[in-house]
Amino acid sequence: MSESTQVSDRTTAREQAPARPAATRWRWAAAAALLAAAVYAPFQLVPFHVFQLTMVLIYAVALLGLNLLVGHAGQISLGHGAFFAVGAYTAAILLDRWDAPYPLTLPAAALVAFVLGLAFGVPAMRLRGLYLALVTLAIAIFLVPLLKRFEEVTGGSMGLSLAKPAPPAWSGLAEDQWLYFLALAVTVAAFLLAASLLRSRVGRALHAVRDDEAAAEVMGVRPAYYKTLAFAWSAMFAGIAGCLYTWVIGFVSPDSFVVNLSITLLAGLVVGGLGSLSGPVLGALFVMFVPSISQDINEAAPGVIFGLLIIAVMYVAPTGLAGLAGRAANSIKKTLRKG
Amino acid sequence: MSELTVHDLHAGYGGAQVLHGVSLTVGEGEICAILGPNGAGKTTLLRALSGMVKGRGSVRLDGAELLGRPPDALARLGVAHVPEGRGTFTQLTVEENLRLGAYVRRSGVEDDLERIYTYFPALKPRLRQAAGSLSGGEQQMLALGRALMLRPRLLLLDEPSLGLAPLVTRELFHIVRAVNEQERTTVVVVEQNAHLALGVAQQAHVLETGRIVLSGTAADIRADEQVAQSYLGYRV
Ligand SMILES: Nc1ncnc2c1ncn2[C@@H]1O[C@H](COP(=O)(O)OP(=O)(O)O)[C@@H](O)[C@H]1O
Ligand SMILES: [Mg+2]
Repeated sequence: MSESTQVSDRTTAREQAPARPAATRWRWAAAAALLAAAVYAPFQLVPFHVFQLTMVLIYAVALLGLNLLVGHAGQISLGHGAFFAVGAYTAAILLDRWDAPYPLTLPAAALVAFVLGLAFGVPAMRLRGLYLALVTLAIAIFLVPLLKRFEEVTGGSMGLSLAKPAPPAWSGLAEDQWLYFLALAVTVAAFLLAASLLRSRVGRALHAVRDDEAAAEVMGVRPAYYKTLAFAWSAMFAGIAGCLYTWVIGFVSPDSFVVNLSITLLAGLVVGGLGSLSGPVLGALFVMFVPSISQDINEAAPGVIFGLLIIAVMYVAPTGLAGLAGRAANSIKKTLRKG
Repeated sequence: MSELTVHDLHAGYGGAQVLHGVSLTVGEGEICAILGPNGAGKTTLLRALSGMVKGRGSVRLDGAELLGRPPDALARLGVAHVPEGRGTFTQLTVEENLRLGAYVRRSGVEDDLERIYTYFPALKPRLRQAAGSLSGGEQQMLALGRALMLRPRLLLLDEPSLGLAPLVTRELFHIVRAVNEQERTTVVVVEQNAHLALGVAQQAHVLETGRIVLSGTAADIRADEQVAQSYLGYRV
């Protein structure tokens, strides 16, 4: 009797992650609670806070895409903001020039960003590490002058102003609430899509390339193919986020998409936590709120405070906030089990 | 299942030639052991056979030329390579590792998983565990199991005993032989532990500085005085 208990104890201790069914149940419960809170929140908050939460959702979708590339495929991009801008401008131009219906702009933005991601991904994914970082950074740097150059379609430095999607009468929602729910629906769909992608054969291959490229290759996985695909997907999610941005802000201009955006997104993702689904959400909160908090702390040099905060988080939680949250959840579970 | 014919194979890294004209034949369903000192080019030979390094000469599997094809194409042709150091995908679960082994096939994967568990019962209770948390022996079992998921025609094993306890190593070779007998898989095994390798192989080659210096049946090689001194640690 005591013998068998000992054996099962040892098995539990050896398992790094608890058996999947229990972990899955926890995760679903957490996701359901989060979703319930997300649906409840806009009815409790003032419009400005609802707007801020909407922006968090938008950043979360962008970071979800960046996470596919950085966290799951092990590549780097300093140009993610460019694809965000591509999505935003695709939607804006469709609305401005052709009066396209709003729902149509979303798949269009996703498609354009995906195709551009593929076009840049094919050559970029032959590069590694610093070279890849440099090339993706160049994409972000070239974007702003490019947008200014094609003034007839992009509106040049003046940008484009658009009407935001109006809430339908049946919904009974205010504009900020309606925009929030649009963003929430797209966000949930994007996360479900990414999760199912990662659970599939394709996701396994992606992780294999990240873990050991040579070993993956001798099993028949083509690293270049998956890296390029990851780049295109990451661009696609950035494009979707950019489209939401256009809906919510109702204005695009080159100055909204400077290089800084790309760098902030990458920093946010790393701070949030690579390779998990909660990392992008935590990273989005960081991207949204930390710059304004830094501004409050020191008006003169918010960048310095922002940088110091990143360093502080990475020092306390080297695997990002998601890792920290995971460890906290585990110790709470342990305490509950003991008690 | 398949016959491997290597003829005048030259291979290396960039400018550095490592293999200088290696020729050997492994009969259908045979196990061939490659012995040799460190740096002889044993790993490079296996890499050339699985397309990980480029080579000149000829490598044929049942008559079809393998040289010049990329690794993923060779995997599709049924060449499974268990690399030096095992190549475990440490952050994936044991089951995900096994499923990746069958990446190039889509049918019969569930049946094959069951087949792997009969060879490696120790893996079954660990399926949901991160592969990086396995012991060295278990990881080597996983690497072999993963290679078998390909249903290989040619199985390449690079120093499977490296860093493992003797008991584990013996069990591993036992499984290699069982697989070879039941599935008629042609096997090329590189090994420092010549005792074990010669115990399962029908024939063996000794590789030194990129050239085969001695070939013969496992029994011949075992009886060779030079080999006995260098690799088996005793005089005949
Ligand atoms: N990736 C590599 N790049 C350059 N040279 C290498 C590489 N791998 C091995 N070599 C060289 O090739 C030679 C043979 O190595 P290897 O095939 O690993 O020998 P073995 O497996 O018999 O110990 C050695 O001189 C080694 O330094
Ligand atoms: Mg070697």
